Amino acid sequence: MIGDELAGGYRDTGPGPGDVDLDRVWLGVAAQVWRRRPGPVERAAGRLLRSPGLARALVTTPSLLLGWVIATVVILLAGIGFTLGTGRPWVALLAPAVAAAGIAYAYGPGIDPAWELSQSMAVSDRMVLLIRALAVFGLNAILGLAASAASGAAAAVTFGWLVPMTAACALALAVATATRSPNTGAAAGMSGWLIVILSAHAAGATFAAVITDSALIAPYLAFAACCGAVAWFATRIPRGTS
Amino acid sequence: MNVELTELTRRFGHTQAVAGVTLEAGPGVFGLLGPNGAGKTSLLRMMATALPPTSGTLRLLGRDPGGYGPRREIRRRLGYLPQNLGYYPGFTVADFVEYFALLKDMPPRRVARAVATAIEHVGLGDKARSKLRTLSGGMLRRAGIAQAIVNEPELLLLDEPTAGLDPEQRVAFRALLREFGQRSTVIVSTHLVEDVAAACTEVTLMDTGRLVFHGTPDELIARGEGSGAAGDAPLERGYSAVLAAARSGVAARS
Repeated sequence: MIGDELAGGYRDTGPGPGDVDLDRVWLGVAAQVWRRRPGPVERAAGRLLRSPGLARALVTTPSLLLGWVIATVVILLAGIGFTLGTGRPWVALLAPAVAAAGIAYAYGPGIDPAWELSQSMAVSDRMVLLIRALAVFGLNAILGLAASAASGAAAAVTFGWLVPMTAACALALAVATATRSPNTGAAAGMSGWLIVILSAHAAGATFAAVITDSALIAPYLAFAACCGAVAWFATRIPRGTS
Repeated sequence: MNVELTELTRRFGHTQAVAGVTLEAGPGVFGLLGPNGAGKTSLLRMMATALPPTSGTLRLLGRDPGGYGPRREIRRRLGYLPQNLGYYPGFTVADFVEYFALLKDMPPRRVARAVATAIEHVGLGDKARSKLRTLSGGMLRRAGIAQAIVNEPELLLLDEPTAGLDPEQRVAFRALLREFGQRSTVIVSTHLVEDVAAACTEVTLMDTGRLVFHGTPDELIARGEGSGAAGDAPLERGYSAVLAAARSGVAARS
């Protein structure tokens, strides 16, 4: 063991003070050797959130890991290609569905292996969920806006899907937390958005209408608020009866 | 008292997992024994603040975990090893222990040394940089124990901690229990009566959600003497005798 080597090495250097606690020395060395250096994102999040625990939980979000982000970018790049090729706002239609899936996989008993342990931690799992959901939403919004702008969509389309994305994400989060299943949450968010698009199309409107029609903003926001309330209720920590 | 439970109950639908448990515990090592389905895990989860009670009073470390502030303070000073330890396969042992140290709100400056101390305490020093997915079941269990003790908890709750540990590791683990029991309240749920005999200052025996015995290991042994109860060791005979008496009492009442 390194500790033994260290101890031997210390003894080989000649007589030293007899009361040196080598275990203590070794622990100091081990603490430095095993210490994980947080990356720039985690350091920035730690400063912003004023909680290294929350920052650490944030950078372990499944739907913020590199593989997931790459998959999101690939889907949006495909959306740019389809938009440029067909003239339909594919990026704007895809972005809410992709974001909804990401939100569903942000945190929860179905996706976090250490969920049981997390429930007994000082940094509350509800706060972890909130921070992770906001981060996933923010990242997806930035990627979607960039993709939408790159596809040459009109400003109404580029920004119009942010509100429906909020509703789809809220639905995914509410279902994922209520059913304790990220798969169900993702399916609900994506299929809910698909139903909205197909319903509008069946009613004779264009695909872009679900994004650009200002009359839909209030219903989208009201629906998102209701779903948010469901998620808030589903993740509450029931008060003890003590 | 670090743990004060009064008529604590927990129901899951029509099933009563914990049925009116009253218990007090100060510093020391407490063994929680009982057959499968006795309610040990539910009781530990309530003490870990991971599960709210259905009724009754629960006070931990002098605080009421029903409120956000006190619950957070309790959790800072709590160590918990669940029966089914979930882990992140891609984390190293050091990452895993550090993750929970941070979630326990430990001061960041103390974390690195506390992680090293906890890992050395459970004898995983040579595996500190190994990914969890490469470890054996016993090593994973020890990693779980390391995260539970990383914050030097005043209340340490361990659900089947020796499952998967080899005899040598179990001996070392009992020494760790005794060490923590000198300054903290350690509650260990186990099926292994030899762990209780070797490490515990008090024993609590549960059956069908009820507390059917509370006393010292010697008192439990005395219950088995001359009872003709089954068991290879004196403590096992005491365990069997108490359970038999509790069940016959229930049968007589019903």
